[in-house]
Amino acid sequence: MAGFAKTGGDMSGVNLQGLVKAYGAVQVVHGIDLDVQEKEFVVLVGPSGCGKSTTLRMIAGLEEISDGDLTIDGRHVNRVAPKDRDVAMVFQNYALYPHLNVAENIAFGLRIRKTPKDDIAQQVQEVGGILGLTDYLERRPADLSGGQRQRVAMGRAIVRRPKVFLFDEPLSNLDAKLRTQMRAEIKRLHKRLGVTSIYVTHDQVEAMTLADRIVVMHDGRIEQIGTPMELFLNPANTFVAGFLGAPPMNMITAQIVAGDQGPVAEFGGQRIVLQPLPSLQNAVGKTVTVGIRPEFAKAVDDSQPDRVSIEVDLIETLGSEALVHATLQGAPFVIRTDTVGQMEALGRIGGFTVDAHLVKVFDGETGLALPGQVLNQ
Amino acid sequence: MTGLPDTPSAAGSGRKAREVRKPGRLQRITEHLRREWQIYAMLLPTVLWMVIFLYKPMYGLQIAFKDYSVFRGIANSPWIGLEHFETLFNNDQFLRALKNTIIMSAYGLLFGFPVPILLALMFNEVLSQTFKKSAQTIVYLPHFISSVIIAGIVMTAFSPSAGIVNTALGWFGLEPVYFLTKPEWFRPIFIGTGIWQEAGFQSIVYLAAIAGVSPTLYESAVVDGASRWQMMWKITIPSILPTIIIMLIIRIGNILEISFEMVILLYQPATYETADVVNTFIYRQGLQGGQYDFAAAAGLFNAVVAFVLVMTANTISKRYSRTSLW
Ligand SMILES: Nc1ncnc2c1ncn2[C@@H]1O[C@H](COP(=O)(O)OP(=O)(O)OP(=O)(O)O)[C@@H](O)[C@H]1O
Ligand SMILES: [Mg+2]
Repeated sequence: MAGFAKTGGDMSGVNLQGLVKAYGAVQVVHGIDLDVQEKEFVVLVGPSGCGKSTTLRMIAGLEEISDGDLTIDGRHVNRVAPKDRDVAMVFQNYALYPHLNVAENIAFGLRIRKTPKDDIAQQVQEVGGILGLTDYLERRPADLSGGQRQRVAMGRAIVRRPKVFLFDEPLSNLDAKLRTQMRAEIKRLHKRLGVTSIYVTHDQVEAMTLADRIVVMHDGRIEQIGTPMELFLNPANTFVAGFLGAPPMNMITAQIVAGDQGPVAEFGGQRIVLQPLPSLQNAVGKTVTVGIRPEFAKAVDDSQPDRVSIEVDLIETLGSEALVHATLQGAPFVIRTDTVGQMEALGRIGGFTVDAHLVKVFDGETGLALPGQVLNQ
Repeated sequence: MTGLPDTPSAAGSGRKAREVRKPGRLQRITEHLRREWQIYAMLLPTVLWMVIFLYKPMYGLQIAFKDYSVFRGIANSPWIGLEHFETLFNNDQFLRALKNTIIMSAYGLLFGFPVPILLALMFNEVLSQTFKKSAQTIVYLPHFISSVIIAGIVMTAFSPSAGIVNTALGWFGLEPVYFLTKPEWFRPIFIGTGIWQEAGFQSIVYLAAIAGVSPTLYESAVVDGASRWQMMWKITIPSILPTIIIMLIIRIGNILEISFEMVILLYQPATYETADVVNTFIYRQGLQGGQYDFAAAAGLFNAVVAFVLVMTANTISKRYSRTSLW
């Protein structure tokens, strides 16, 4: 086990500078800047087609880099062959060799590198032990469950002891329960091995739970980089606000007007009091997008005077919490609320209140968060 | 289609099914036919074609056991048992033809079978799409040319006066050889022609199998550090191995099926010694020599051996790969 406790002294980061990918005249990745620290677990997340896989494949060397610079462990690797970059990749469909058994699949990379036979056998045993595959080493991939196949794919990457792990949606072929389980397992493995990892997913829950830092991508560009909580509490723009969090942040189009105590967002005759920040005061008269997380809105009944009125369409009870689906200004508005001891009150919901500092205000045109609104974790 | 599995499953589960189900078997079949008659109507032309052109002629097979004369007709010719077969196995020419058939098939298998596989592997490694497409078209082409023309090309190429082969030999100061009259040259030329004509086309099967291999297997291997050569040996070949085995089994099943038009087109009495195969022997005895009953016996023998081989090949295939013709 000793060899796998941590990768030794040569730890490494990955640095992307202005990375561009173009297929002919079509540019699909428009210049990515990202600095992944050694041992860090970075998750690239974004909607389908935003260029996550392309970026990852450029790091792996499977796609040529059209422009920009890629450094791994301080070495410029734009023109270095994949095998000499010292990275290992786990693919979405596992890419297991159907004609080889589990042990041979795990050993593939070592055998290619002409590692002595005894070493291979020992390392395969070790990795098999770490991943709980010891009983399946003789089986062919076709005779394994999805989760076991996923583990073999991980084993094949781990056994090579690379400087960097690259994952391209490794869990998306698993059912929800297994995904949760494997997610935790990947997290544990990362703690144990401490290898720099770049992980691609379009599942924001996976991103939130796994990442040291999340990179939100959209249309071949980075929208925001930060820790999961940073992104959740302080999204830089409406895209990030709408992408992270389940259900996503509620968005209301409103005008900023001057109220008695400071700026107020006004829409359809209703008002939400905002923080007295200079950036918001200066925006009086402008159209903005007001963002309220379902968790931060407090459901109230009709008797509350300073409430925002909503029309409740449906209440989904999830056990300890419920989702109140309502309509506001013709758009859906969702509130997440506790259920315990409240079931009777749920039936009387007529609106919500929200603390001024929990309301995010975004520029109506650019979608960028107005400056100064920082929520501490 | 929906109704079709009904009948075999009932037949398969035997007595039990018959006890459980109320309506009799015959009744169910009529019911089934009434429901699905359109499908059977579509099948009818093929069945008729097979009956008229494949099964009805089999009636004539009996002349292999008769002293057949055209004037008496098939039915009135007297039975003579296995006499023709005895003659057959005492006939040196037949034994020679049998030997030639087996030798040529074996060589054909040995040299001809690997070529399409190699071609497919080579095409797979070609990076330039334009070059790949042109090369493929060129090697597929001979398949679409009539055997007569192919034979004409071969005869011209090997001709002692104007042929390219002898011209080339002449550059090295060698005497011209009349290849097509030399028994020792017949087999190489015949097998080479067969490879030239069919290898490209046969490589399509393997190319299709290669195309079915998931590209991520190669990508994963690239990241793991495999060279193209290693990927060919460790991924491509193992992945198409089942296809190779099935093709081999089918080929073994057809071992007596020498393409005899090509033999007829290329051979001549001077090369009978190595060139005459069972089918050309039958052709000469039957159609040219008028010994229909004797030729029928030889043909029947050929068919029985082929039948046994196909059955064996199919059984082995079924056991090995769970893939079979029936
Ligand atoms: N060979 C190609 N030629 C042209 N465009 C391509 C090619 N490969 C990918 N693209 C485009 O690049 C964009 C990014 O693709 P990529 O596979 O990186 O998306 P992704 O973020 O991984 O999406 P997903 O979550 O669906 O996997 C897509 O719009 C895709 O259409
Ligand atoms: Mg992708």
